[in-house]
Amino acid sequence: RAALRCRYLLCEIVSEDPRCRQCIDERAVGAAAKDAVARTHGDYGLACCSISFTVKYLNAYTGIVLLRCRKDFYRLLWSALPFVTYLENRNQRYSCFFNTLHVGGTIRTCQKFLVQYNRKQLLLLLHNCTSEGKQLLHSYILKGALLHMDFVLCCMMHVFHFS
Amino acid sequence: MSNAREKKRAKKMRNQPASVTLSSDCGPCPSGIQHHNGGSRSFQTPKQDLHPDSSQEFQQQRHQHQSPGPSYRKEQYFSKGQGRGRGGWRGGRQNVSQEMPKYITASTFAQARAAEINAMLKAVTQKSSNSLVFQTLPRHMRRRAMSHNIKRLPRRLREIARKEAEKAVHQKKEHSKNKCRKARRRHVNLVVEFNRRQKKNIWLETHIWHAKRFHMVKKWGYCLGDRPTTKSYRACYRAMTKHCLLQDLSYYCCLELNGKEEELLKVLARMCSIDTGPTFAAVPCLSGRLQGSLVLYRADRYPEDLLGPITFIWKPKDGSGITSETRQLWIWTHPSLKQDILTELKTVFQCSEPVETCSPEPIVTLLQEEKQTDVAMIVGKKRKREDNEGEKAVPVKKIIGDGTRVPLESYCWTSQTTGVVISDLTMEILRYRLIGPLSHCVLTEALKTASIQTEMADAETELNNWWVENCKNSEKVSLHQRQEAIFELLQGINSPSEIAAGTILGLTVGDPRVNLPKKSSKAMPNPEKYQDNEKVRQLLLEGVPVECAHSFIWDQTICKNVTENKIPEQDLNHMRGELLVPGSQLDLGPCESKIPILLVQQPGKVAGEDRPGWGSGWDIYLPKGWGMAFWIPFIYRGARVGGLQEGLKHSEYKRTPHIPNDFPDCPAGIQFAKELENVLLEKFKRRPPAKRANYVKLGTLAPFLCPWGQLTRDWEVRNKAQEESVVTSSADSKSGATERQVPCEPKPGLTIEDSQGDIMEEMAKIQNLCKEDGAATSSGFFVLRNRKLLKQLSARCRPTCGKGQRVRPASKLGQKEMTEDALLSIFKCYPRVLVWVSLSLLRKGSPELHAMICIPTQEDFLQLNKDQLFCGPQEPKHSDIFKHKILKLKERKKKKNNGNALESGASDALEAKAVEEPKELILGLWPDPLPDVTSHCSRILLGFVTQGDFSLAAGCGEALGFVNLTGLLHMLSSQPTDKKGLVLLRTPASLQYRFARLNIEV
Repeated sequence: RAALRCRYLLCEIVSEDPRCRQCIDERAVGAAAKDAVARTHGDYGLACCSISFTVKYLNAYTGIVLLRCRKDFYRLLWSALPFVTYLENRNQRYSCFFNTLHVGGTIRTCQKFLVQYNRKQLLLLLHNCTSEGKQLLHSYILKGALLHMDFVLCCMMHVFHFS
Repeated sequence: MSNAREKKRAKKMRNQPASVTLSSDCGPCPSGIQHHNGGSRSFQTPKQDLHPDSSQEFQQQRHQHQSPGPSYRKEQYFSKGQGRGRGGWRGGRQNVSQEMPKYITASTFAQARAAEINAMLKAVTQKSSNSLVFQTLPRHMRRRAMSHNIKRLPRRLREIARKEAEKAVHQKKEHSKNKCRKARRRHVNLVVEFNRRQKKNIWLETHIWHAKRFHMVKKWGYCLGDRPTTKSYRACYRAMTKHCLLQDLSYYCCLELNGKEEELLKVLARMCSIDTGPTFAAVPCLSGRLQGSLVLYRADRYPEDLLGPITFIWKPKDGSGITSETRQLWIWTHPSLKQDILTELKTVFQCSEPVETCSPEPIVTLLQEEKQTDVAMIVGKKRKREDNEGEKAVPVKKIIGDGTRVPLESYCWTSQTTGVVISDLTMEILRYRLIGPLSHCVLTEALKTASIQTEMADAETELNNWWVENCKNSEKVSLHQRQEAIFELLQGINSPSEIAAGTILGLTVGDPRVNLPKKSSKAMPNPEKYQDNEKVRQLLLEGVPVECAHSFIWDQTICKNVTENKIPEQDLNHMRGELLVPGSQLDLGPCESKIPILLVQQPGKVAGEDRPGWGSGWDIYLPKGWGMAFWIPFIYRGARVGGLQEGLKHSEYKRTPHIPNDFPDCPAGIQFAKELENVLLEKFKRRPPAKRANYVKLGTLAPFLCPWGQLTRDWEVRNKAQEESVVTSSADSKSGATERQVPCEPKPGLTIEDSQGDIMEEMAKIQNLCKEDGAATSSGFFVLRNRKLLKQLSARCRPTCGKGQRVRPASKLGQKEMTEDALLSIFKCYPRVLVWVSLSLLRKGSPELHAMICIPTQEDFLQLNKDQLFCGPQEPKHSDIFKHKILKLKERKKKKNNGNALESGASDALEAKAVEEPKELILGLWPDPLPDVTSHCSRILLGFVTQGDFSLAAGCGEALGFVNLTGLLHMLSSQPTDKKGLVLLRTPASLQYRFARLNIEV
């Protein structure tokens, strides 16, 4: 028997309100997504999407969420995600929206994409830095030598401070 | 099981990032400052990052995002036109009043992403599965020999593969290969290596031969062959019954006693009893004509405190009839019994001090030997050559010493008062056993008696100088010729069992390697040659005369000479190669070594009616160093080799007790039983609980160990209870009771007055003994070895009518009836006695180790009468009362473990241990304090089986075991006459009882 295929949606939660981050947890995200599916595709769509639907990973600080869905129905979920307008947690409601970054067949590809994506973001962040530390940083980021986080941050602070 | 699965999953997921959430009550603080302080603290586990000032920092962090500082930068950043909402954190602008350093926001932002990159990178790059790297590759990318050659892997995986290959698992073989094979196989290095390997467990001389063909076990300080690796169970049995089975018994220990005959006999008489059979003083044994065997006890402690069974040989007297001359006595013991016997002998003879002056030579030789080997170990070849330059051939390169003795410890003790010298000759004399009717054919074909030699081969060497001197004496030459004649005659007899049991024949033989046949063949008797010879008949009638038992093997100096002057195999082969006609007989002439040996007939089956003389054979005693020289010729004559297992089977078919299995009352037997229990328990525990026998349900209280002590105690209690209920009068004085009972019993057969008197004496003796014992120690049990009592019992066990009836004198029957009550009364007062019995199954079934011997009920007999094919009753299934408890304990343990994981409290763990330790329950086994063993099952328990199997010799299941005497008498008194001696046997893992006939063979 062939394994059941899945699709992984890598999304970013974008919110104006920074407090929104408090309510980013697995339950809230899952509920919001399901709610949107129910609204857009009805009971049928909800049932289809609920099969093996989980939140595989999320990061409240960066707002990254990894959702899993069956391959047959991931379009339903995908199309419903733009209709998520808020996250609700502990009776607090904050408006936000989902930005789908990547659709992958394995968690691994999503992780790889995420690495690239984050790296690009950091590069963009450094784009306008005009200091002596910039090139150093640049090379470090490109090499992926971000394991020396302390050093990098030190440099970055240095850069921001003087720019 | 679920625990294991969780663990596996945890291992698999160890590199995968966990979700990071931000909860309001315990704020994580991923600020840059904190990371500076915290060093390598992981971003993924913010929950644990609880600082004392976390709340404050959390506040800071919350404000960070509202700070206006980075907004313009953000705009720049976002204006790059990604499809992202521009006003991401624009709301922060409104809170201008908060004064926060502007750079923190950016760093947090960057840091969050960087941490995520880290986590993701870790997840992506690091392998998380348990498989090797090349196994994770898809099929089409796999290449041959990927596991060896990392360059065959894709480049991205090489680094990981390299790390994997460096792990210790793959480099196990590297250590021993420090030398090339040629160097390792060089003789000197090989000897050094062999000496190292036999430091703990001594090798026999035939070790390497055995190790290539046998499953080896380490036992009693030796490496012994357990059973052949080939499929040869039946072949070995056939060899035993039809041809010849060869066993290396060199691990048996020889203790030599040297002293005046009266002194020796006087002291040794304390250690054995005439009740158990002939002692050291038995006339044929004392003269040196026959080998004797007996059971040793601690001095003056008979019938308790068994030391073990031994065989002994007296050195025949040297012609002159003076009785007070010094005699030599060899006591052969099993290595497991040796220490006990030796220490007891030393205390009895008051030999405390190991005086070297009494026999300096052996000690010196030993030291020399050790020195030599030490040198060999350190220096190797060259030095050794120098040492041996003077002598031409010194074959002793191995340590031929003792496994049961600490090296350098003296092995010779003398007593000041009596002048008796005890020396430990372990490993000094080799002993091979040939079992089977054709064993003497093998012997006669393999060995040729030494030729008379009057001239030395070489004036310089010591080779054969003792023999030349001997040959000068005409008397001794004639003796040698007589021995030779008798040895030749052996070929004419059909089976060794025709000769008297324990016959000793001394001999001097030539080098058996010289007349080794080119091809191995089976030695067959040559009946035409010796069919109707008068001499053979005479030999059978009269046995071997005393003089012929003389052998030079008793003389240690000669033995040493013979050992040292052995021609090495290499030289012999060299000489063979130089023969003019290749393959012709090698004639060494005067250089041929002469080896003194001793042949001892081993009695086969003596007890019982069927197969008399089965399993008889010859033991051959050799001086050390000559092991392989004699071993190979025997094999070339068609002897099959057996190991320990075959020895066990031999004694089982022969129905003789095996050492040390069948001596539960001697220390070695107790030790053996304990070891066996451990082995069986380990084996039992290795199976999953659902796949192993639940002995609680089967009603088997002790499947791995026979609780003899408890069995006897339970029977004692039982007996007392019965006595109290039935008889009240004969409680106080037991001897009085017997005396009273005997006269009031009407005597039907008055013809056997004297024998009866004998028995009464016996009883009185035992009663005295048991009274003493009752005063001294009431805990131990012992095995009944009194021959007279055993004969009585044996007669009572037989059915009196039916097909098994035999013609028996009427007086015997009368005697039996008469002694019934008398016997009962004796044994009542002596309850802690076991009797060794043999059992043969009536119909189906093959008994196993630790099978239970039970008393059949009346209904069983009725059924047996009704139905000829009735196999036996069934034991009803018991309920497992411990299963529930075990489950409960398990649950509690689990809970405790979980609790520990959460709280990680040390005290909690300790508590849990304290709860679990006292009660270690194993599913399917009774915990330690056993209930009443006799009445646990539906049939009353009588005893246990110590050896049991399907007997190829008898064609039915046979077993040997012990039963409680009280129980046996109780059973016999209640059984109908034609069903006397019928018992039920039940194997530990079965509910089925099977009928078996009980025999006591004396």
